[in-house]
Amino acid sequence: MADLSQSGIAPGRHGAAPEKAAIEVANLSHVYAGAQGEVPALEDISMSVGAGHFVVIVGPSGCGKTSLLMMLAGLRAQSAGTILCHGSPIPNPDPRRVGVIFQEASLYPWLTALDNIEFPLSLRGAPRAERRQRAEAMLRLVGLEGFGGRYPHELSGGMKQRVSIARGLVQDPPVLLMDEPFAALDEQTRMTMGHELLRIWSVTAKTVVFITHSLTEAVYLADEVLVMSARPGRIIDRIAVPLPRPRTYEMMATDAFGQLRERIWHQIRKAD
Amino acid sequence: MKAFALPAPAKVRWGMLIALLLLWELLPRTGLIPELLLPSLSSTLKVLVQDSRIYWAALLVTLYEVALAMVIACGGGIIAGAVVGGVARLRELLLPVFSSLYAVPIVILYPVFTAWFGIGSESKIAFAGIYAFFPVMLSTAAGIRTIDPQFILAARSMGATLTQQVTRVIIPASLPAVFAGLRLGGALAIIGVVVSEMLTAAAGIGYLVTLNRTILDSPRVFAALLMILILSVAYYMLARAIERRVVVWQSVGRAPKAAQAVGGAGVPVSVAV
Repeated sequence: MADLSQSGIAPGRHGAAPEKAAIEVANLSHVYAGAQGEVPALEDISMSVGAGHFVVIVGPSGCGKTSLLMMLAGLRAQSAGTILCHGSPIPNPDPRRVGVIFQEASLYPWLTALDNIEFPLSLRGAPRAERRQRAEAMLRLVGLEGFGGRYPHELSGGMKQRVSIARGLVQDPPVLLMDEPFAALDEQTRMTMGHELLRIWSVTAKTVVFITHSLTEAVYLADEVLVMSARPGRIIDRIAVPLPRPRTYEMMATDAFGQLRERIWHQIRKAD
Repeated sequence: MKAFALPAPAKVRWGMLIALLLLWELLPRTGLIPELLLPSLSSTLKVLVQDSRIYWAALLVTLYEVALAMVIACGGGIIAGAVVGGVARLRELLLPVFSSLYAVPIVILYPVFTAWFGIGSESKIAFAGIYAFFPVMLSTAAGIRTIDPQFILAARSMGATLTQQVTRVIIPASLPAVFAGLRLGGALAIIGVVVSEMLTAAAGIGYLVTLNRTILDSPRVFAALLMILILSVAYYMLARAIERRVVVWQSVGRAPKAAQAVGGAGVPVSVAV
């Protein structure tokens, strides 16, 4: 995956033959114990994400999007239903199968950027030379060459998220889960980071599940947008985004873009 | 418009210190304050040189007691703080107890300590050790309790075992709070030892203060006070220096301008497609 060729085109896009699913969720429900008894959080979620696809989940606050993502990552157990990642369940977090990128960059402030990226490798005792080599390749991939020695507090918000993405990618997992990774960034940085993410995605061919509140971001990034209802969260619409790739900023001004955005907005208003 | 440039804070601090020392010398010299109440700096220093053997011997006793008290306070405080801060049930049960105990002036227990441990070094060590234990313990507990849960979630997502979560995340994340507690605890250990020496003792700097006060030998009292002052300041500076070394990421306030200027998006000009 260290193939950084700029022209690299990811396999398994639109128009390709039907490929096998990277993530399959069947009849997933979740109930948690609240102060007033059991609270249904997620209800009968079924979804399938094709390998190499970029799927964005949108929905009102508190609809359980993050919970769903945590379950896909093996960080939380669901009450009912199954999750298959490349055909097998994921009962525990496994950074070699699924990388997770959080809203706050959640980098460790006592480690440099490079050490942060190496962290998952050092957890499983990878040799030092290998760690450094891979971390540096990731740093190049996210466009931060030369910043490896900086501590997180010496980096801007966008740079921190780049490091965070590099950390999620360092074990080369086929699946990347992103929980509103750009929510804390200003609008301008956010747009640029979205564009950057698509570039990284196009050279690494990952399956991405991405949560956001921004409809523009959703349409700009996604192959498919899943709209969730308010609690208990259900998937109420799936909207394919047939815009060509690579996406450009100019596309945002087109009618097709506006209509897709409008349709998602309409669904969310109904859902809230 | 031209504003007056204020001198750097460090310069102002040094200036204040020099002014204070000058006042200490000049006020008694000019007779504004009688030498009995405030002996001049020079007569204090003269005594310190004259009786240097006595003062060094006293300092060694005090240092020995402070060192052992710190070992008790820091070791016990960190262990107790980690357990109380880390285990939710214990935290609910014990933290309020320890917090309110911290508010009790523990010096009232000192007579009990002399009864148990005698008037030698043991009672000072025990008293100062307990006195300094509380801030270390409470600060450690707070440090562990306030760790960003995202840090641990991220570690789990990267496959960290429970042991790795403790050694690689919880311990480094709580270091700043632990060090803040150690800094305060160390200062309290010095206070505890000196105060208990002043109350009942036959050795140590605190003892020299009491001894000379009862015979109205002001320069010797102030010589002892000066030594305590220097000891405290030296300890504080040492603690800060170690802290800055270990807790690198907290010593720098905000991102330097360079990082701000390059920005999140501006960096990868060469790689943007």
